[in-house]
Amino acid sequence: MVSLHRTIRNMRRVGLREWWRQMQYIGDAKSGVLVGKDQFGNRYYENMNAEEEVPGRQRWVDFAQHEYHASQVPPEWHSWISHIRKDPPTNDSVIKNMTPPWQTPWVENLTGTRGAFKTYNTAAPKINAWEPKTISRGA
Amino acid sequence: MSFILKNAVANAGRRATFRPQVGVSAYRSLHTSKPSAAQSPVPHPSSSTDPAHPITQIANYGSNQQSLENPQNKAGPCCSGALSGTNSSKFILEYVLSTLDKVANWARQGSMWPMTFGLACCAVEMMHMAAARYDQDRLGVVFRASPRQSDIMIVAGTLTNKMAPALRKVYDQMPEPRWVISMGSCANGGGYYHYSYSVVRGCDRKWFVLFVVFVLIRMSSCAGIVPVDIYVPGCPPTAEALLYGMLQLQRKMRRSRKGVLWYRK
Repeated sequence: MVSLHRTIRNMRRVGLREWWRQMQYIGDAKSGVLVGKDQFGNRYYENMNAEEEVPGRQRWVDFAQHEYHASQVPPEWHSWISHIRKDPPTNDSVIKNMTPPWQTPWVENLTGTRGAFKTYNTAAPKINAWEPKTISRGA
Repeated sequence: MSFILKNAVANAGRRATFRPQVGVSAYRSLHTSKPSAAQSPVPHPSSSTDPAHPITQIANYGSNQQSLENPQNKAGPCCSGALSGTNSSKFILEYVLSTLDKVANWARQGSMWPMTFGLACCAVEMMHMAAARYDQDRLGVVFRASPRQSDIMIVAGTLTNKMAPALRKVYDQMPEPRWVISMGSCANGGGYYHYSYSVVRGCDRKWFVLFVVFVLIRMSSCAGIVPVDIYVPGCPPTAEALLYGMLQLQRKMRRSRKGVLWYRK
């Protein structure tokens, strides 16, 4: 848990610059092993020492973007950071061998941009609004 | 119907949004025999790994939002060599206004107080969001029982015809600025009860169908029952999904540039 002792200890471990970045983006001083880096430049850390990190906070990500959000984590790393898989995708033989070559690149959530998903329907509508047709009266 | 089909074709894939504007690519010089496609600029990529130019930024190239987020000198770069005259003061004013907008956005996103409108089982998930595991309070989200003191309305559950006027009244009592999160399939589009006679097919349902029900509501609301900002899918959505929706709403608040918009108009 957060304490002054822990903050100072982690600050000395990671250095002032990294500590300042952590306080801006994570909001907590953390120190751990750099497990890997994904294609977007997000850095993934792990600290399994039970005396230093409580369960649930043992794996974390340092986002590369300033405007960060959770969907910037690609699915392979998501499965690692959520403890679905034990090993990171760089070490996991299953992910290494089973990633298909036709897999499309991961795109983060585009809500709010021009690339946002919009629902559409390709089927003909079952219900049509009534459009009155009037026959012109003869003079 | 043809409009619907056209929409379907236009939205057929994400690539369509990144296609250059028709007005640009269709332009063709009279002095060349090249097809117009050859003259069009390089199409935007559909994915990016560069954190300096993320895909969210690429997707907004040439949009009004991108223009609003960057303070600009309206006279253009050609005649803004010196920091003098009205052009630079315009630039400084836009810069100040966009900074003020950012301050307002920061204040708004830090304390989102949702008006709970729990209508069905979605409300249980909404309660889970408030409980210890997902803990909305760490984001400054506090449920408020009074519409006059809340910023956001979470429409959680099936909106029936009988409830719809009450929903609109509560929405009208909320002070500006206000946002609406539509939670779950039923609030998004009727969901399971889409074909029921007594259920509104989405809480943003258009006016003309429900004309008889909503004669009491003022005419300015003819766009729908309530204007929805964020749709959270699911039946019901998990508390995590709703929390993610709240974070998306924070993103939306962060994009707001009302001051710059007012100044440019």
